[in-house]
Amino acid sequence: MDYSNLRRQIFSMKKSLFDQGYLDEQFNQLEELQDDSSPNFVEEVVALFFKDSSRLLTNIEQALEKYPQDFYRLDSLVHQFKGSGSSIGALRMKNECSMFKAHCSDRNLEGCRRSLQKMKREHATLKQKLETYFQLLRQVGPRERAVNSWK
Amino acid sequence: MASKMQGSATKALVVEDIKVDCVILLRMLQKLNCKTTVAHNGKEAVDLFLEGKTFDIVFFDKDMPLMTGPEAVTKIRSMGGTEVKMVGVSADFGGMEAFMHAGADMFVPKPMKLETLDSMLQEVISKKNMSV
Repeated sequence: MDYSNLRRQIFSMKKSLFDQGYLDEQFNQLEELQDDSSPNFVEEVVALFFKDSSRLLTNIEQALEKYPQDFYRLDSLVHQFKGSGSSIGALRMKNECSMFKAHCSDRNLEGCRRSLQKMKREHATLKQKLETYFQLLRQVGPRERAVNSWK
Repeated sequence: MASKMQGSATKALVVEDIKVDCVILLRMLQKLNCKTTVAHNGKEAVDLFLEGKTFDIVFFDKDMPLMTGPEAVTKIRSMGGTEVKMVGVSADFGGMEAFMHAGADMFVPKPMKLETLDSMLQEVISKKNMSV
């Protein structure tokens, strides 16, 4: 297997995720927590995030459709999403959550709806990109998967 | 990273209902040689103290079911838990006032950096070593 080519692809993909603002430094922090005792830590945490956040997005959508809207509950759900998104370094989603919270504070229903649509798009895009990234990482295997190689 | 006390590991309690955040903080604490316990909300944390469990440092998320972080801090302080270092954690600075008013020692916005956590733990270790 051409590991050097794979490594280049992985490096390039990760750089692109950072350059395009999908990820921030927190993702590097997660990778630093990965070692021989926990070789798939980052992928597991990211998978956990997408599982929980999909459910949260559904809850947010349902909360938006209720009448009258409970902006306090909406804010609380988005706050939760913001917390776990920022914990995995999902920068764009974190920023959109801040916008969403501002709309909640203003009781701006249309603003909230727009933010939700953006969050869903960002969520789907990041999920797809990270799935591809981890697929590439799996190809190089645990032996080659030294954290600092990808910085 | 010198996060080991003379003779025993630092005992940390993580009070957090969001799985992702809990898993990450636990991993960071384990990397820093801490012995970790988890409570999923403020009430579980209070119950641990009522059972007589002791910790060197406790990390509280703000919004949790049954009992929030600030509520748990207030309760544990009123129960005599004055020595344990209590750290409030939340997704932005909105929770800082509530935590500090409740009696927390400090507030850190999420996500917490490993270096920040390490220096907090070193402070706890120094304090404990001085009192031995």
